[in-house]
Formats: sequence, structure tokens, C-alpha cells
Amino acid sequence: MITGTGITKTFKQRGSVLGGRDVPALRGVDFAIEKGGAVSFIGESGCGKTTLGRIIAGLETYDSGEILIDGAPMSGLSHRKRQPHFRRIQLIHQDPYSALNPTRTIHQTLEAPLRLRARQTGRPRSWIDGRAEELLALVGIDPGYVLPRYPHQLSGGMRQRVVIARALTMDPEMLVADEAVSMIDVSMRLGILALLKDLRERLGVSVLFITHDIATARYIGDEGEVYVLYRGQVVERGPTESIIADPVHPYTQSLLSAIPVLHGLERPGAEQVVPTEALDERQADAGCLFARRCPFSTDRCENETPVLGHLGETVQLHACFHPKHRSVIPLGVGE
Amino acid sequence: MTTSSPAPGCPAPSCPAPGVRIRDLTVVYKTPVGELPAVSGVDLTLTPGTITGVVGESGSGKSTLALSLLNAVQPPGRIKSGTVEIDGLGDVVKLGGEQLRQTRGRKVGYVFQAAQNSLNPLKTIGKQLLDLGRSHEVDDLRALVRDAKDLLARMGMDGARVLDSHQHELSGGMRQRVGIMLALVLNAQVVVLDEPTTALDMITQATILRIIREVHEERALTTLVITHDVGAVAEVADDLAVMYGGRVVEHGRITEVLGAPRHPYTQGLIRAIPRLSGDISLARALPGRPPTLGTLPAAGCVFRERCDKRMEICETVEPQSVTLDGRTVACHAAGRPLPLVKRKEYA
Repeated sequence: MITGTGITKTFKQRGSVLGGRDVPALRGVDFAIEKGGAVSFIGESGCGKTTLGRIIAGLETYDSGEILIDGAPMSGLSHRKRQPHFRRIQLIHQDPYSALNPTRTIHQTLEAPLRLRARQTGRPRSWIDGRAEELLALVGIDPGYVLPRYPHQLSGGMRQRVVIARALTMDPEMLVADEAVSMIDVSMRLGILALLKDLRERLGVSVLFITHDIATARYIGDEGEVYVLYRGQVVERGPTESIIADPVHPYTQSLLSAIPVLHGLERPGAEQVVPTEALDERQADAGCLFARRCPFSTDRCENETPVLGHLGETVQLHACFHPKHRSVIPLGVGE
Repeated sequence: MTTSSPAPGCPAPSCPAPGVRIRDLTVVYKTPVGELPAVSGVDLTLTPGTITGVVGESGSGKSTLALSLLNAVQPPGRIKSGTVEIDGLGDVVKLGGEQLRQTRGRKVGYVFQAAQNSLNPLKTIGKQLLDLGRSHEVDDLRALVRDAKDLLARMGMDGARVLDSHQHELSGGMRQRVGIMLALVLNAQVVVLDEPTTALDMITQATILRIIREVHEERALTTLVITHDVGAVAEVADDLAVMYGGRVVEHGRITEVLGAPRHPYTQGLIRAIPRLSGDISLARALPGRPPTLGTLPAAGCVFRERCDKRMEICETVEPQSVTLDGRTVACHAAGRPLPLVKRKEYA
């Protein structure tokens, strides 16, 4: 189980003639990911979801707050002391076309981390080849076909499966999948999502799924939880189905309204929420961060900062003074 | 070809949108094992004033098809046979040299895949606009800048500020809009958008799609949108063409194609789209992988390897396109339509 409390991260923007500017990427985020759970971070570009994912995978530092991995605090630990903890969390990269070394065969790509793993666990070197085949079979590709080949000889979907197999070489307890299907052909996306779901069920691996497409979050399994991030804050958080079917925060509603309607198969939701202006990260931080773009904002939103809570007796947590149910998602023609 | 300054906004109906007819188009790429077809014998008609979406996976030939509209297929590729007729231009395949150069941009606008990355990083947008004007012998460059500002304002941006910016100062969605502006500012009447919303997040995508629809209607265009994402076109297109292995396998009104797909590939593709509503357990990925130039079967149906309605005839005979009630389908099994969902039209 991994928990975080009050994680903040500010990037310094340098190189401007006018001096640096602070860009807050995360403004105090709490999260909890159960063993074997499925958590999705959702938001538009620049909301901090990728930064948070990288912090959880141990690839980025954080300014304040605390991350606990099975109760052990991570801040203040040296790199060497942290390393065994973060071995258990592996990142699946977004782009399977650049995540694999083009000059190495898949066999070489998997052999290097497996050799390390064999040394860590005291297994003989003969274990490596068998394990590579086992992992490739686990992610649903034919080891005999894939092992001697180079990445350019494989399709995008196969490469992504190899990337997942590579992440599994370290026997992780959690996979961080950052936009893991956005670069893959539509006909094969569900295959990768089904694989992540399958790994959860069969290996008990928890999955942290980072995406801007909420629809894909439904497919990584039951009992999932969604965190909607906006400008470095969680604005709504709850079970996947209730966030999708019954969102109360206007930002979540505008994300869901933006999803294209498959005319002929679906009809648009009864209400649509469209932000009144585009995202401007330089806007003042006073009050609700979404107030300037929110079609429903009031004076209170401009001046007071809402905190996560169950205001209005909602199932999910949300940070809005005026929570209201709106049916924004497209519904199937037959429903 | 006239060299007058562009007329400000060409309102319908005084200036009707041109139609585009692609007939038996074959485009081949030269490889060490001979010339391989990326597009084979495609027939496609773009009705004047409509938005046609072309969906296909990587390697389906959709980008090559789009480039053919400009006769801009780059070596080692070449248009082997067929015609691309655009009203008022004739057969684009036969154009060459200066005539072809004038056509591109002025008659046919093209918004390139990753327009975000197709701008010159060293020049401001304004300078690139002036380059475009000069290369098309626009006399009144002030009018061109004015038109550009109007178009940018139309798309919700501050024109003066954008023209003074370098590309790195603009966000992905803004660059995409600049790409659309550059494609339209010379009053092109046929516009091709290649993956206009790839790499944009959902809210920006929705904005860009709305802009495409509105500008299309205001300027009476004939628009072709190329994408791998059915969702991205479902929102804007009137017609949908589905490509697989260099062929158009199904083409018709978008509500009909999505509501009652007849080609097994279209059916599988629609089942494979992650959706917000509906039963998750019914959704499944298509088995297998899309063909590449090298793995396309020489005879028979190109989709048979992944098809669940495969018959004996599919091994040897390539299915011909059959048009019925405005729907074109190329499948031996499509004689027996399988209605997946109830068909219903929504305005």
C-alpha cells in the first residue's frame, strides 16, 4: 500500500530575461493506493498528473509532504536506502516507439534487468532465459517470435507488451502506466487495457493509470478509484463508476462533456459543461482555482478556497461549493 | 491562375464548395522487394460541402491517400494509376510544376499531422504567413495579415499576439489552430486535416473539433479529416470512410456506419472503442495486428486474417465494393447485414 500526504512540487522556470518564475505542479495532493487496487489520475495537460506519477515511481523528487510505502516514510532516505522500495514500483512509458532501445533485440532488452534481478534474489543465471519467455507469455506474445527481434520489427501493441514485460522483470507490486494506450492503434487498445486488468487479477499488481481519456479508466478493472486533478490539486475523487456516471464538480463535468459522441451509437448527454476560457496557468491562485473558467462560479468561489469533502452528501469527495449532478456523458442509443 | 489578393471570406452559396472524386487510385512505395501498394484501387467521393472522416489504423494508407489530394506523395512513393478530380481544378494527378505549386495552399489547404511540430521554430508565425503570401504571389500582404488576424480571432485567439509569437510560445492547441489558419488564409476550398487532434487533451480536442465544424460551415468548404480515432471524427463528420490495408472497406453516412456497421472490420473497430457508457464486458480488442506493406496478402481479402466471418471465397477473391442505399461495403459476407444496435438518427 502506498500513501501520500500533502505532496507539493514546484518547478522553477528559468531562462527568461525577466528572471525565473515558479510553476506549481502539485499543490498538496493526498492519495492512497491499495495493494492490488486500480487508481486513475485524470486531467488535461499540465494538471500535474504525470509529475505525480513520476514522484510515485521514484523518478522525481517532491518539495514537501510524505510518501509512505507500506508504512515506511520515503523522505530523508538516501538514494541507496530508497532504491529497494522503488524497485517495487515500475513505470510503463507512454510511447512504446521510443521506450525500447532500437539497437537491442527484445532478448537483450529483457536480459539486462533480469540479470540484475537474478543477482538480487540469488537465482542462477540459467533462470534468466526461462523467465524472459515466461514474462512474454504472460503479456500475451509468442516468445519464440519476439525474443530474437528488434523493436522496429514489432507493431505498436507488441512493443507496448514488451515494455510491460520489461517492467515486470523487477517483480513489481505496482505498475504506473502513464498514457499507456494513447499511442496504440484503436483496435488493440482494449487488448493492453485487458492485459493490465489481467495482471491485477492474476498477480495482484496494483495499477496506477494516468490518462486524459476517462473512458479507458473503466477498463482496468472493478473497484477502481479516479482522482481528477486540476492545476496540481485533486478536485474530485471517488469510485470510477460514480465519477463517470455522476460527477458533481464542474471541472470533471467539462472533461466528460468534451468526450466525442459517437453519433448513430450514442446521443449526447442532456447537459454540457464547457469551460468559459482556456487554461491559463498564470492566473492568480486566490479562491477556487477553477473559478475563472467555471460557468457556474459565484463571488464565494473567487474568494474562498474549497476543500475536498462530501458537501451535498455525495458518494465521492469533491472540492466545490456548489456541487450539482448534471448528466453530461453520452448515452447509448438503446439506453 | 489569378494573382489577385484573396477575396475576404467566400460566403456560400455564391461560391459553392467543390466536390472531390477519387477514382481507382493506386499509390505504390518502392521497396527492396519491389513496388508495394499503400493504397490500392480506392474510389472515394467527397460530396461538396461535407466533412468526410477517414479512419484507419497505422499502415492503412490513410495519410498516403490524403497526400494524393495534393499530388504530394514523396518518393519512394508514387501515384501509379487513377485520378483525383477536384471541381474547378481537374485531375490533380496530371498537374505538375508551377501549376501544382499554385494549387497547394491556394486551392487545397493541408493541415499536417502534428501541425504542432510543422512550424518553423526560428520564425514568428507572422513571418511564416508572409512567406506563404509571397510564394503564392499575393499582392496585398496587408489584406492577407488582416484575414489571418480575423481567422485567428474567429478561433478565439488574439491575432496580433499570435502573429508576433514563435511556435514555442504557443500551446499545442494554439499551434493546431495556427495550422488551420495557414491552410485557410489563401481561401482554399478543399481542406485536408491529417490527425488534427492527436496529442491534444480532451478539452482542447473538443474546442478544435468545434472550430473545424464552424469554420467548415462558414466558409463552405469540402473537408477531409484523417484520423485513427473514430471518436475524433464521429463528433464532426457527415460521412465516414473506413480504411484497412490500403482499401476503403466501408463508406457511408456516419450515423449509419456507426449505428449499423456492415463490414466486419468496422464492427470490430466499434466494439473496440473504450466508451463511457454501455457494458464493459461486451467490448473487446480485435485479434491480430494490422497488416504492413510487407505482410499484405497478395490475393483475397486483406482483412481475412482477423475476420470472424471468414469464408472460403475470402482466401482467393478480393471483395469488390458494392454500393447500396448510399453505403459502400467491400466484403463477401456483408450481403447479410448484422444489426449491432438499433439505428436511430439524432440531429
